[in-house]
Amino acid sequence: MTTPSKAIAAAAVSTLALAAAAAAQPTQQVVLPGPVPYPTDSPPLVSGGVLPQMYLAPGLHVASNELVRVGVDRSGRPNAVSVRQQLVVSGKGDYQLAVGGPVADVRRAPGSESEPGFRADQVLWAGFSPGKKVLSADVKLRVEPAKHYLPLRLALRRDGDGVSLTVTNATATPVMTYTGVVRTAEMAKLLDATRRSALAGERVTAAFATFIGPVHTPTQPVVIEAPLRIEGKLQLSGGSPVSFSRVLGDGRPLSFTVHASGSGAAEVRLRASPVPVVKLLTPPGARTWKKAARRRRLDPAELLRRLLGTRQRLVRADQYQTFLADPDADGHSRAVYEYQTVAAQGPQHVASPARGGGESDALLIVLVILGSLVVAGGGLVVWAHS
Amino acid sequence: MLAAGCGKSSRASGGKIVIAVDVPVTGSPYVAQTIRHGVALAANNLNSGGGIVVGTHSYRLAVKLYDNHLSARQAVEDTRRAVDAGAVAIVTDGTGIDATWQLANRDHVPICITYDGGTGLVDVEKRPNVFRIAPTNHGIAFRLAEYLIPKGLKVGLLHDDSAYGQEGAADVGRAFSGNPRSVAIRMTLPFGSTDLSPQILRARRSSATALLVWGLPPTIAAVLTAARSIGWKVPVYASPTGADPFVRQQLADHPSWVDGLTFAAGRLTAEVGTGPFQSFESQYESAYGVDKVGVKSSDGSPVIQPPELAMYAYDFTHVLVAALTRAGSLDAKKVLAALNEVTTQGANGDERGFNRHNHDGVVDDDVYFARFHEMTYAPVKDDPLSSTLPVIPQTP
Repeated sequence: MTTPSKAIAAAAVSTLALAAAAAAQPTQQVVLPGPVPYPTDSPPLVSGGVLPQMYLAPGLHVASNELVRVGVDRSGRPNAVSVRQQLVVSGKGDYQLAVGGPVADVRRAPGSESEPGFRADQVLWAGFSPGKKVLSADVKLRVEPAKHYLPLRLALRRDGDGVSLTVTNATATPVMTYTGVVRTAEMAKLLDATRRSALAGERVTAAFATFIGPVHTPTQPVVIEAPLRIEGKLQLSGGSPVSFSRVLGDGRPLSFTVHASGSGAAEVRLRASPVPVVKLLTPPGARTWKKAARRRRLDPAELLRRLLGTRQRLVRADQYQTFLADPDADGHSRAVYEYQTVAAQGPQHVASPARGGGESDALLIVLVILGSLVVAGGGLVVWAHS
Repeated sequence: MLAAGCGKSSRASGGKIVIAVDVPVTGSPYVAQTIRHGVALAANNLNSGGGIVVGTHSYRLAVKLYDNHLSARQAVEDTRRAVDAGAVAIVTDGTGIDATWQLANRDHVPICITYDGGTGLVDVEKRPNVFRIAPTNHGIAFRLAEYLIPKGLKVGLLHDDSAYGQEGAADVGRAFSGNPRSVAIRMTLPFGSTDLSPQILRARRSSATALLVWGLPPTIAAVLTAARSIGWKVPVYASPTGADPFVRQQLADHPSWVDGLTFAAGRLTAEVGTGPFQSFESQYESAYGVDKVGVKSSDGSPVIQPPELAMYAYDFTHVLVAALTRAGSLDAKKVLAALNEVTTQGANGDERGFNRHNHDGVVDDDVYFARFHEMTYAPVKDDPLSSTLPVIPQTP
């Protein structure tokens, strides 16, 4: 029988041996994923043609808040896509901006302090910011090219005594990863830093990890997704609404199905927003990864997989915060996606917003931003029921 | 875009492309001359570079001048003649546009206004062939309201009874409608009257602490004369016509009466600095000489007028050429459509162009304010945009 003291001594010897072996190996700094590049070209949507030369005076910044409205038919397929994009220019100086995409039309949205221009696949803004300027546009998109970059797939089907709705996170994409020998302490430190960024709702900052010996790239890519918070309801005419609230991704399933009983036409209304990785970054049995690693042995290879996977998910979530491009590459972007059943070729929300008009949408955008911050900070849910 | 359109000698010659200029040569000679010079300067520059390439052929630009005498009837006749002459576009001060646009639109010929900022003259839906590169009355009026209302002034809103004055008054009225307390009095002045003393006395009795005058240059000169001759040092603000040389010429004997006159206009320089505009001005002066105002500064130097209107006409010519290049043919319909899709760098360094929803090439944000001192003007310092702009030299 091995006594505790002998076990500790054996572990110490083993650790020393590993450390000695590691010390003999050359090390290299490897760049971790994030904040860019994004794993796919779109979103944000891109223009078919060449955008005109843009100009942003030194010191000017542009934040983008977007409400993406998706009309879906009775089977759940998109039949209308529009975006209310609010660009907030901060700083004093000239700007000439262009936002590309499969633009079918654009109109000034309530609250805008300027008029948007419209060319083939382009929304244009030009003017002078005296310190702050709000530019808002309702942008109608061509469905076919835009629908491939929406974050959700909906499927509505009749079954049994009613209708079922399956909601699937469509942001999953393969990404390359790498493996190698790393140090637990450094992994824990990097996981803690990544977690802090995620909880603060910030983009991950560039970081490096130290690999001891060779770095391997597995032939099989891993699949990551942008975690999405889904809130909504399914209702049949005359029936009671079935409400749902889920996070798709972040270690949870990527789809779910809800069922509503009754007859008549099904109506779906839901909102989705990219959210930070929380679950996958929660340390086991401790407040931080550093403390968790002190309490028990954590496999450094598993920590590396987790670090890469969570950072890639955060990058993917950040990517979906910008459905229409923010002309300021360093700008702060937030997007929320609203899906609603509409008749085929139904209302394109460009000229007349489906819900209540500009003030409520502006409020929604504010709530979305505040909500995402609150979610990031405390895992709470803020939702503007309407 | 323009580089792509520059001619190469190996191209087959397609002949001439005519740009018509319909301006009031005998009604408002300064305006007419500077617009004509702007178009001609752009055309000459392009021709000296080998002309322009449209599709597979190279062309030279020809400028054909028409005099509308400030008469809508004459403008209609000029438009007929220009269209019959095969003009690809008509550049105008704006005279008679309500009647001429339909004539030109039958043949999909674009018309570009480079002077009149009247609301309703440009309407993408109703008048798809009408474009404008000049500050709009709407933009100027709202910028003036934005500038004056926070000062806490009681403004006397004066306009003359010319079409220009009445159109401007409507926009000024809308701009101030949300702040009626800022308005001391609204008054219409008879255009052509050299003595506006009764009206100015009435404005003074209304407790106005500032005057905003929207009218033709003689009206602005008459307001200043009436106010200053009774010793009323009320600040006077004006429409872009305040910068017209005529105002200073009329008051040449009393230069101090012009001091403090503040007018709104389209900015002459972009954020990139004065370089592009001064380069344009230098070319303009080399070709046509300086536009002398006819007055002298305090040190005895003759005052010259920066070629603002010429810049707009010059810019439209370049946008038109970019559209011709993009269209790849002289098909008027294609050229008209292409005008919505192209951008060029303007003479002042700003991007210039139109789009499917907006045929105004000067955005409201580009309106700035300048104040006279000793017969030359400089951007004011108490407006965010104006304070960023440099002074354009106005003496040799």
